[in-house]
Amino acid sequence: MSYSFTVNEQSVEIESAGLTSLLSVLRDELGLLGAKLGCGEGRCGACTVLVDGAPAAACLYPVANADGSDVLTVEGLPQGSEQLTPVQDALLAHGGVQCGACIPGVVMTLTALLEQHAHPKDSDVRSALTGNICRCTGYQKIVDAALAAAETNGDPR
Amino acid sequence: MTVVGTNVRRADGADKVRGTAIYGMDYTEPGHLTAKVLRSTVPAARIVELDTSKAESMPGVRAIATAADAPGLSGMFFVLKDQSLFARDVIRYVGEPLAAIAADTAEQADAALAAIDVVLDPLEPVLDVELSLAEGTRLIHPEWESYETAVPGPRDGNLAWEARIDRGDADAAFADAHLIVEDEFRTQRQHQTSIEPHAAVARYEHGRYVVHTPTQFPFNVRGRVAELLGARTSDVRVIVPTIGGGFGGKLDMMLEPFACILARKTGKPVRIVNTRSEEQATCGPRENAIVRLRTAVAADGTILAQEGRIIADNGANSSGETIACSNVASLVLGGTYRIPNARYVSQVAYTNTPPTAAFRGVNAPYCVYAQEMHFDHIARELDIDRRELRMRNLIRAGDEMVNGQVLEDAFLEEAMTTVERMRPWARPKSEKGTLRGIAVVPLTWITNPGPSGASVKMEEDGTATITCAAAEIGTGAVATGIRQIVADQLGLRFDDVQVSTADTDTGGYDHGAQGSRTTFGMGNAAQDAALKVRDQILDVAAGMLEASTTDLELVDGSVRVLGAPDKQLPLPAVVATAMFSQGPIVASGAFAAPPIPFDSGCMAGALFTSFTAATYHAHLAEVEVDPDTGKVTVSRYVVAQDVGRAINPQMIEGQIQGGVVQGVGYTLFENLRIGENGDVLDTGLETYRLPTANDAPPIDIAVLENPCPYGPLGAKGAAEPSIVPVAAVIACAVADAIDAPLKELPLTPFAVLRALNDKRAG
Repeated sequence: MSYSFTVNEQSVEIESAGLTSLLSVLRDELGLLGAKLGCGEGRCGACTVLVDGAPAAACLYPVANADGSDVLTVEGLPQGSEQLTPVQDALLAHGGVQCGACIPGVVMTLTALLEQHAHPKDSDVRSALTGNICRCTGYQKIVDAALAAAETNGDPR
Repeated sequence: MTVVGTNVRRADGADKVRGTAIYGMDYTEPGHLTAKVLRSTVPAARIVELDTSKAESMPGVRAIATAADAPGLSGMFFVLKDQSLFARDVIRYVGEPLAAIAADTAEQADAALAAIDVVLDPLEPVLDVELSLAEGTRLIHPEWESYETAVPGPRDGNLAWEARIDRGDADAAFADAHLIVEDEFRTQRQHQTSIEPHAAVARYEHGRYVVHTPTQFPFNVRGRVAELLGARTSDVRVIVPTIGGGFGGKLDMMLEPFACILARKTGKPVRIVNTRSEEQATCGPRENAIVRLRTAVAADGTILAQEGRIIADNGANSSGETIACSNVASLVLGGTYRIPNARYVSQVAYTNTPPTAAFRGVNAPYCVYAQEMHFDHIARELDIDRRELRMRNLIRAGDEMVNGQVLEDAFLEEAMTTVERMRPWARPKSEKGTLRGIAVVPLTWITNPGPSGASVKMEEDGTATITCAAAEIGTGAVATGIRQIVADQLGLRFDDVQVSTADTDTGGYDHGAQGSRTTFGMGNAAQDAALKVRDQILDVAAGMLEASTTDLELVDGSVRVLGAPDKQLPLPAVVATAMFSQGPIVASGAFAAPPIPFDSGCMAGALFTSFTAATYHAHLAEVEVDPDTGKVTVSRYVVAQDVGRAINPQMIEGQIQGGVVQGVGYTLFENLRIGENGDVLDTGLETYRLPTANDAPPIDIAVLENPCPYGPLGAKGAAEPSIVPVAAVIACAVADAIDAPLKELPLTPFAVLRALNDKRAG
């Protein structure tokens, strides 16, 4: 089957079985290696991308479901600019990155959260992150970063 | 203004948040083949026949490797060489490699694996450590006496290794004791579960193996691969891409040898990546263990003597570092409190289960859990306050550890006092529906003493480059720490110091990212090299400025004459002048830990004999237990940790938070279970539960600076220890809340409910 959708604002046409995971299309066919295959069962969230603005575990997401959608991966942020997004910048400022394998997924989850929720509370951030396993940081500095990024929400940097 | 002590951003950070960092699992080479490993599905059997002929003719198959291709015997850190890469005549665990296939695609490799004919003659599996050590049990390695060892260790049949400490006169102390208390504790396997599974890409080039692998310890992987393949060590080159987590799990070789053999056989690059289930089932976890303690105490709670026996599960061979670290178990039991008479036996037993291996806090978290729960038992028997019992027995500066090592800089009292200031010791009140408990635990821990070599060179633009093989495992030791140290020594900005990729061909030997040693060991080596570079810079600049070297300083990328700020030279000018006078500015540095005096007569079978650059800690936990469900919530957590000198305080905090949360998982739910067939049951994250953001307690942190005279700028190891006392302090707090001891981990709701029900019943 053939599926057409956008990835990071570029149109793509994918010839593939419909149940092929979106993650394998992104990584193996489109060469977008930011999203990681951590567990392959939708538990760790290292493969998180946004489909029409909502976080999805790309390792379980059938490519057929992406047909006609807009897919955003970590490579699509920030689009065409050298600057880091507020979430990316805050993660580094607050020491929220260690090995970093979970971070592309975390960045996408937090990006979606801050789109939906300009000024989340600590508990909102933690709830949003329950689908993203970080084995290194103990989460506190990621939460700190998210709250700090929210502070800059709406303000030009 | 020095960058040491500041929270610089990690040098690899922008690539990581942009998703452009290339991890081991992302790395490929053009035209690579894909490899898969055929693994045993039974725990113990004789191999009657292994026929690969059908598989060889399957579509896309380029090569098959079997035992004949890997003649060597090896073992982790070369301590006990009882491991072959492939099972030869006998299978010893579920998951043991039987053959490996390289094919054009993964599907073709899988199809070919299924076409290998294996005929087996089953053996009775030995799955339990106590059964393993019992009289008359079948030997898992009948040829155990023929294995090479690095040092003579007490061994006997299924007893793979034993380390002993015997000091003072324990028998006399027990005979005179006011009270003798005995306990036994049992703990489970914990898997590292880094987000990135093991991965390797090898090619065979100019008669050498070149392998890209996300390893914590490139030189260990190099030596281990060479030994298993029967190759010369220097004929293996290890290059390290970005590492997606390790926690001890990536210290050893895992998939590299398969990729290397198949690359040689096919002449093409070969890539192999574990699936999550292969990762959980075959990559060595923290060992399960039994700890028995027996303690003689005086009426006032003074510890008079202690006997301890630790039985740890080695699994089927010594491809993990469970035996190498066996004496760490005894040292940690006798490193925090004054125990004047002691007899510890740390045994590591073979079983027909997947080999166990290093996980942050090697061989220690279960010993500390046992010791602290046991201390609470003593306190209960003597009716002494639990914190007070600890304070009475705490090692103070100048006291001896159990190995006779004098801890001149002991800082446990300061750590305990700091925690007391942050959260005064008081029993939280339980109420209907919520039981509350508290505990506080001190700890002495080691910095891994392994050696390091590094070189530092000055670039034409006045920046500096460190060339070394230190692996950036994620702690920031390479991405921040050693750069900060070198920048400080050379008066450079942080951004003006680069570090080479870790590569065994270019970097000097380094003992790996383990035991908090990178900032300490590599920091020392890089500092040594930087000081020599500094001397060369000052020599050249002294001639140019017509000043004495003692009147010069390196500040902001320039050489300045002290007291004459207008007399200065930018570093590029000095580097250029040096180039054509003394030659390019470059120097190598080295570090070996100084010998630490200890009582060598009291130990046998010990690879770790003392605690280098010892660090001192205190952790406090407050918990809430739901009496109806048994669910434990860690409501408050406090850490005071001596780091010697804080090179990057923010990175240190991150290590503390991360280690504590890994410890929360170990204490409350992580459990890599072995089934009746000797197989790992928890092969996915569906049942192997990891801590989420909602499981992380609020943690208050005090970073204490108690400088180490031989640490770089006073620094000691900071990354590993925060996991070590977590199970102890949480379990003691839960036991306090429910007023009943807990003698097994993890403290699942079921286990806590059972303890509550047993208490109600009894």
